[in-house]
Amino acid sequence: MAFSIFGILAVLLEFIRPFLPLILAVVIIELMLLVVALRRNGLLNTFRALKSTVPIGVVGFVIGIFTVPWMTGAERSNLAGIIDWLSLFGASFALGLIAMLLVWPPFALFRHRAS
Amino acid sequence: MKRRNNRQAELADAIVDPGRRRLLKAAGLGIGSLSLAGTGILASTPARALATNARIVIVGAGAAGLAAANRLSATLDGARITLIDRRERHLYQPGLTLVATGLWKPGQTIDENQRYVPRNVDWIQASVSEFDPDANRVVTDTGDTIDYDYLIVTTGLHVDFDAIEGMSPELIGREGIGCVYDNPEHATRTWEMIDRYTTEGGVGLFTRGPGGIKCAGAPLKVAMLTEDLAQRRGHRDRLEMVYNSPGAGLFSQPDMDQFLKEEFPRRDIAINWHHRLVGIEPEQRRATFATPDGDIRFDYDFIHVVPPMRAPDALGNSPLAWQEGSFADDGNWMEVDRHSMQHPRYPNVFGAGDCVGTPIGKTAASVKAQVPVVVDNLVSVIAGRELTASYNGYTSCPLITSRGQAILVEFDYNLDMVPSFPFISPYREHWVPWIMKDKFLKAAYNAMLRGRV
Ligand SMILES: Cc1cc2nc3c(=O)[nH]c(=O)nc-3n(C[C@H](O)[C@H](O)[C@H](O)COP(=O)(O)OP(=O)(O)OC[C@H]3O[C@@H](n4cnc5c(N)ncnc54)[C@H](O)[C@@H]3O)c2cc1C
Repeated sequence: MAFSIFGILAVLLEFIRPFLPLILAVVIIELMLLVVALRRNGLLNTFRALKSTVPIGVVGFVIGIFTVPWMTGAERSNLAGIIDWLSLFGASFALGLIAMLLVWPPFALFRHRAS
Repeated sequence: MKRRNNRQAELADAIVDPGRRRLLKAAGLGIGSLSLAGTGILASTPARALATNARIVIVGAGAAGLAAANRLSATLDGARITLIDRRERHLYQPGLTLVATGLWKPGQTIDENQRYVPRNVDWIQASVSEFDPDANRVVTDTGDTIDYDYLIVTTGLHVDFDAIEGMSPELIGREGIGCVYDNPEHATRTWEMIDRYTTEGGVGLFTRGPGGIKCAGAPLKVAMLTEDLAQRRGHRDRLEMVYNSPGAGLFSQPDMDQFLKEEFPRRDIAINWHHRLVGIEPEQRRATFATPDGDIRFDYDFIHVVPPMRAPDALGNSPLAWQEGSFADDGNWMEVDRHSMQHPRYPNVFGAGDCVGTPIGKTAASVKAQVPVVVDNLVSVIAGRELTASYNGYTSCPLITSRGQAILVEFDYNLDMVPSFPFISPYREHWVPWIMKDKFLKAAYNAMLRGRV
């Protein structure tokens, strides 16, 4: 049973539907902070701030590796084979990336104030 | 009754005879006139809709009925689509196994049909009590007669508690009796029984109704998750678990059957072959099984009751049911061509979901594969084209073997494995299918209801 790209997007949409208001609120706040940071700090400094979020991303990734199976009600011993481990690494990478993106706008603002 | 008023006058029309139907096709359908539709970003339906004023009635607003309504309303322009079902609450039934084993809260399985009924579809809140395909009409239990040009039957099935002497749904959650095949409230009570059993121990009888049942993996999952829970609690040695199969197998797909025949003994779950539950004495906590050697009685501390299942009476007693053969004997299932899903004797009638008599199926996964076939072929019939869409028997069961692991079993009429994700082995326990079942299948199900997958 093949899933089309639209089908996969539709499933993802249904997956996040219960959290859509929260996700939208966070995205709007983050975007607003980013715009303020860009105006105050300029493009270059704002993107430099992204670099300083990398440690947060790494921490997010490592926490993900240890906690994602547990978050799904499973244990590490339930991971069997390459596909499970790749999925764990993928999910943890996504967690790290989300952590980076979440702290980026406040970091960018903070850098401005500090300079 | 919602959204009914403007439909009432139209539905009172006289029965459409085949001649009139042909006329309707030629005059009203306007096959040449195509209009834009289905261009929504997440629509998987054709971008161009077929214009028609055909009256299409869908009986049953469960998984198959809602998916068909959404697909049809996006595919047809001007069709008068009526959905008939009394039930307002929508149940995500695959979640009931998880509720009954303490992994989900009951609220996770409860939704509302209203959220999925397309705007241009009339929803009549009643039950169909009579199918009259010779006259192209159905009669509801409120006494209304509804004429149609095309009919889609998606009534699901009837869980036949009465077929087990002494059993009724009210007993679920009492005297050690559990059953996942009813509703979230009874699944919760089943969990109370399993919770107690995996603490106190004793004899646990696990059963499976004979013939076609929905999600034939669910009774196996309940047995394995109960065993897993007892292990986790450190009480496994207190439990004597016995799985009673009504036949000589555990699962229709041979590789999985073999796996389970090795897995159950490995986990110290005894298997009784050819043991069909026929009676229960709740006060005595005693169950009667029909076996080739006659009836046998077992005492139990916990029993998972899985009754036989059949088509709802209104459908099973109608001319739409198989009139002879195994599908008639097994459960009065609706007759359809197993590939086109069209009724062989009533070509303007199609069926999908649990109610149809096909060799395998009766899962939401089958519904996902069947409904696009039904809709494509119905549109072809309306357009006077040849039927080209074909259902290959696809069905699927994320067979949970323990909390955190499952096997994603997908197969077809030939009982060949047909994995959607070739990189996930259908023969091995993995963590990824568990996440799918626990986190993503409900989302996939909802997307299916909206006609998007
Ligand atoms: C415990 C359990 C576990 C399951 N696990 C899985 C799983 O893991 N994977 C999977 O793919 N599937 C699973 N399933 C199966 C899946 O839920 C069903 O196959 C699917 O819901 C069938 O859809 P349906 O539309 O045919 O029937 P239903 O969803 O049952 O809907 C039928 C509808 O028809 C209505 N109706 C009935 N009679 C009439 C009438 N006379 N007039 C009007 N309306 C009527 C009913 O009110 C109901 O709303 C499971 C089911 C159960 C119970």
